[in-house]
Amino acid sequence: MSAVSTPVGELRAQVTAFLVHEADLIDQHRYDDWLQLWAPDGIYWVPCNEDDYDPRRHVSIIYDDYARLQERCFRLNSEGAHSQDPPSRLCRIVGNEQVSGDDDGDVRVRANMILVEVRAGEKNVYGARLQYTLRPAGDSFRIRQKKVVLLDNDEPLGNLTFLL
Amino acid sequence: MTVVDGQEVGYSSLVEEGRVHSAVFTDESIFEAELERIFYTYWVYLAHESEVPEPGDYCTKSIGRHSVVVARGTDGVVRAFFNRCRHRGTTVCRYERGNAEFFRCPYHGWTYSNRGTLIGVPFPSRYGPEFDKQNLGLVEVARLDHYRGFYFASLAGDGPSLVEHLGRTAEYIDMFLQASPMEQVELRAGAAKSNFHGNWKFVGMDGYHVNFTHKTVQDLQTRRTGNAESRKNNSDRAPNLTVDLGGGHCRLDLSLTDRVEIGKATSSLIGEIPDTEAGHRYLALMVERWGSEAEAYERIRGSRDVHVHVWPNLQLIGSEVRVIRPTSSGYTEVFGYPAMLAGVPDEINERRLRGYEWFNGVAGFGTPDDREIFERNQVGLQSDKEPWLVLSRGLTQAEVRDDGVVIGNITDEVTQRSQLRQWAKAMR
Repeated sequence: MSAVSTPVGELRAQVTAFLVHEADLIDQHRYDDWLQLWAPDGIYWVPCNEDDYDPRRHVSIIYDDYARLQERCFRLNSEGAHSQDPPSRLCRIVGNEQVSGDDDGDVRVRANMILVEVRAGEKNVYGARLQYTLRPAGDSFRIRQKKVVLLDNDEPLGNLTFLL
Repeated sequence: MTVVDGQEVGYSSLVEEGRVHSAVFTDESIFEAELERIFYTYWVYLAHESEVPEPGDYCTKSIGRHSVVVARGTDGVVRAFFNRCRHRGTTVCRYERGNAEFFRCPYHGWTYSNRGTLIGVPFPSRYGPEFDKQNLGLVEVARLDHYRGFYFASLAGDGPSLVEHLGRTAEYIDMFLQASPMEQVELRAGAAKSNFHGNWKFVGMDGYHVNFTHKTVQDLQTRRTGNAESRKNNSDRAPNLTVDLGGGHCRLDLSLTDRVEIGKATSSLIGEIPDTEAGHRYLALMVERWGSEAEAYERIRGSRDVHVHVWPNLQLIGSEVRVIRPTSSGYTEVFGYPAMLAGVPDEINERRLRGYEWFNGVAGFGTPDDREIFERNQVGLQSDKEPWLVLSRGLTQAEVRDDGVVIGNITDEVTQRSQLRQWAKAMR
C-alpha cells in the first residue's frame, strides 16, 4: 500500500515504536528511563468518576506534573514503598492507535490498552483508553500529556501504585 | 457467640484492656453481627448536604448491605430511603448521583416521586380494593439528621439523638469547616474510591505507624524540605497526642508541631497558603471572617490538623471526608471525598485537590501503603495459633482528664482501645 510510505505512515510507525518502547519501560519498572520520555511541562493524568472531569475542580486518581512524576519515580525506586514490594508483574498491549497532527506541531494519539497485573496471588486486568500529546524531539518524542481513562475509573479500585 | 479455646464466649470477651482476639477481624459471623448491632443500630454517616444542593438532586449511598437513596425532594426536604421497589425489590435508582423528579422501577413501571411516595402503578385495576398506594412509598430510614450539613442515618427508631451520638466529635466537625470563611465545605469534587482485602476496623487512627508504613512519604518530605523534622512528630518523644473522645470516637492531635504561614511549604501539602494573589486573597477573606491574621492562621491550622474518627464509619482527616463501607470481614471499600472550601479562590481548592492526591489518592504516596498493610494484616491474622494481639501501648501511662477524655503519646494505642471498647459495648 502506497500510504505506508507517505509521511503520515512514517509518523504512525514512529508513534507505534514510541508507544511500544514506553510500554516496555513501564512493564520492566525502568522508572528513570521512563522519566526521560517526558517533557518538562508534561502532565500524567488518570481521571476518576468521569472520563473528562475538569481536574482543576475534581479529584483524579493521578494528576502529576513533572515534579510530582519525579517524586512518583523516586518513591518507586526507594526502599519502603510497601504497595510495590514486591513490584507488580506487568504486561500490556497498546494498540488501535489513531494519530493526528496538531497546529502547534505536537502529535495527538489515541490508543487502547489492555494491562494484566499480577501481584500477591491476584491477577487484575485493566482496560483503558489512552490519549497522548507528543512533542517531536529528534527522531522520537517527548510526552506532553498522557491521559489514561480506565474503564473502571468510577469503581472502587485496589492497588494502582504501579505505572499505568 | 463465638468459639475461643474450645469455649463458647460472647463477642465482648474478645476485647480485653490491653489485647484483642483476632477473630474480631476475621470471623464472618462476627461481621454479620456487626452489621446488625453496629451499622443497623448506631448513627452512621451517610452523605453531605452539598451532594444534594438543589430540589430533585439525589445520590446513592450504602448502609451495610442496604443501598440507600439520599434525595432532596421537590419540597426541598432531604430524605433517605432504601433503594428497593416495594413491588418486587428492584433498585429504583441506578446512578450514584443526578437529578430526578421521580424514580421509576424498570421492572413493572412503578413510579415514586422524589419524596418517595408511590405515584404510579400501571394497570391498577387488577389490584383489589385494599391496595393502597399511600402505604407503599419507598421506605425511609428510621431516623435521618444532620450536623452542619453532615447527614447521618440510624436504622433504629429509638436511641440517642445525633448530637448525643456525636458527643465531643462535633467540635472537630466545627474546626474542619473553619478553613472556609463561610464555614462550609462542598463535596463536589468527586470521590476517590478504593478497596482492600481486609477488615473495616483496620481503618482506624494510628499515630505509631507513620515512620514505618509511610517511610517513603517521610523520604519525600525530606527530599522537599531538606530536613527530617517530620519523622520526629511521630515518636515517643513528640508532643503530639492520641485522644479517646468516648463512644468509640477518637483522634490524633498533630497540632502541637504544626505552624501555618503564607508561602511556607508544609510537609503534608494540606492547608498550604500559597504566596500568590489567590493565597493573599484567601488570607484576607479569613482575616475578615475571624478578626485577625493570627486567628485566620489558627483556623487554617486547626482545620488541616483535624484527624478524627467519628465512630463507626466516618473520618475527617485534613482535607478528606473518608467513609468506610464494610462489605465482609475480609473486604472493605473506602470512599474519600476531598472537601472543597466554600467562598475561597479556585486556586486554593485546586491546591487542596493536588495535595489530597499526593497522600490520599487512589494511586497516592501514602494511603495505598496503608491498604497494603491492611491486606497483609488480614493474611497474617488467618494464622491464629496465638490469636491475641497487643493493644497495651501507653496503657499504664494514659492520662484521664476530668471530663473523661483519655490522652496518650502520639504512638500510644489509646485510639485503638477507644474503638474496640466501644465495639465490645455495641456487640454485647
